Amino acid sequence: MAQPAVVYEEDVKHESSWDADEALTAVYTAHYTSLVRLGALLLRDTGSAEEIVQDAFVAMHGRWHRLRDPHKALAYLRTAVVNRCRSRQRHLVVVDKHTPRSLPDEPSAEQAVLRTVETDRVIEAMRTLPEKQRTVMVLRYYGDLSEAEIADTMGISRGSVKSHAARASKSLRQLLEQNV
Amino acid sequence: MSDQQPNDPFDDLLRRALAEEADRIEPADALPEIQARARAQRRPATRRPWILTAGAAAIGTAAAIGAFTVLDDNAKTAGDEQLAGSPGTTTSATGSPAVTIPTTAPAPTPAPTQATLPPPSSKATTAPATKGTAEKVQTTAVPVYWLGEKVGTTSAEPTVRLYRTWIKITDGRPAFEAVKMMTSKDSGDPDYYSAWRGAQVSSVTRDNGVITVDFKQLPQTKLDEAAAAVATQQLVYTVQGAMVTPRDRVQITQQGRPGSRLFGHIDTSRPFSRAEASKVQALVWIDNLTDGQVAEPLLTVTGIAAAYEATVNWRATNLKTRESQAKFVNTKEGQKFSPFAIPLKLSPGQWRIEAYLLSAEDGSVTDVDSKTIFVK
Repeated sequence: MAQPAVVYEEDVKHESSWDADEALTAVYTAHYTSLVRLGALLLRDTGSAEEIVQDAFVAMHGRWHRLRDPHKALAYLRTAVVNRCRSRQRHLVVVDKHTPRSLPDEPSAEQAVLRTVETDRVIEAMRTLPEKQRTVMVLRYYGDLSEAEIADTMGISRGSVKSHAARASKSLRQLLEQNV
Repeated sequence: MSDQQPNDPFDDLLRRALAEEADRIEPADALPEIQARARAQRRPATRRPWILTAGAAAIGTAAAIGAFTVLDDNAKTAGDEQLAGSPGTTTSATGSPAVTIPTTAPAPTPAPTQATLPPPSSKATTAPATKGTAEKVQTTAVPVYWLGEKVGTTSAEPTVRLYRTWIKITDGRPAFEAVKMMTSKDSGDPDYYSAWRGAQVSSVTRDNGVITVDFKQLPQTKLDEAAAAVATQQLVYTVQGAMVTPRDRVQITQQGRPGSRLFGHIDTSRPFSRAEASKVQALVWIDNLTDGQVAEPLLTVTGIAAAYEATVNWRATNLKTRESQAKFVNTKEGQKFSPFAIPLKLSPGQWRIEAYLLSAEDGSVTDVDSKTIFVK
């Protein structure tokens, strides 16, 4: 993996003395990019992901007096981003039913060229998964989160995480093993 | 997770593909916007300023900055003293006369995706649409780009780079006002200037992914070819930044007609795309200080740099006592534009803060951004 994505242990020390502004700057510096990337993988729309992550940071700043800990702040941000992406996605599904197929962020020609064929196949296959399954897979393989962390972030049981992951893996394996 | 083998090729494939996909996403720096919104949120009266109507926002802002009149149609930029102010300041700089922006609760558009602009309001008089759609009147903070000299330079590189300041637009059209600022006002920082000084902008309109900036008079400045290209991007970056549409191309016209030669070199017959940041943007920026601002003794200077081995050097010099502190910090990532933060503890007095990059070859200073501030 080129860059561990949402690994919260690195470079954020316990700094309970930070005020909300300092916490915002520090957490932003360390994690803004990876959170946007997480959101973009979930939504396939970088613009919306940026908007959602920015909203989450503003909300985090507002509740810093309750969080008081960068680790908690990051868990809060991650949950906020995932939840907001999920509700945005559900909204898009509804909209999609009533409009001709135009999902946000259809890859442009140049983006498509830059991507390897392999990545392309995986991303396309991920796209066919139901929303919960896809979220579990992104948190697991991009976010490197444990089952328990995924369950906390999504507000579902560990058993559900397991079954979503199992179903998603089965579908993906089938899809990716075709036309190799 | 426990139910998988650690080295399953399927797991590796998914990890690799998602990481590769994620790496293609480079979000633009949003810290100033987030800070401005966080600060706005803290003020109960303007908890959600971006949903206020333009009229209500103007009244609140006018009261805060002590303006006397609020005219409906006359878009006015809020005072030159606010020029070059960043909406993001990690220290509490509210006592500063130069930093009016944070206290007036700027309302940057929260959504970069809301790029499609609504039709012009009926009372639009400042920026008549020649074609396409004019901007919506709003109260917001927008970036304005300026030229600054590069210190160390090789013959292959342009000698100027883009630097950024923020202005507060009160009840105005963001891009139009930003261009007006670029063409008629000082940057507020002695190191930054505009190649567009003297030009007269008539309108900024947007149609189908192309922003048209029409000038009554284009700038008369003559520049060398490399500098002319950067100076053209000064307008492209400013207009795209103000409209939050980084993918739109920018067409420059004079009295409605494209094709005039700009700065003696640049053909304007076709719209311009945004140049790659690494080609035109200054390699180090201090983002949260305004030249001449008043600051608290404990402050964190933040900015963006594309630094060799992620190293940004800094020096703070007390201009009276010559007391000096110097050290370096790392940006989050090396070789590309990435944020940095310098924690400072300064005694009262006038200080010059410099952030600079050193040449990998000979250790000389190649790029610098500096701000003079007053510490309480």
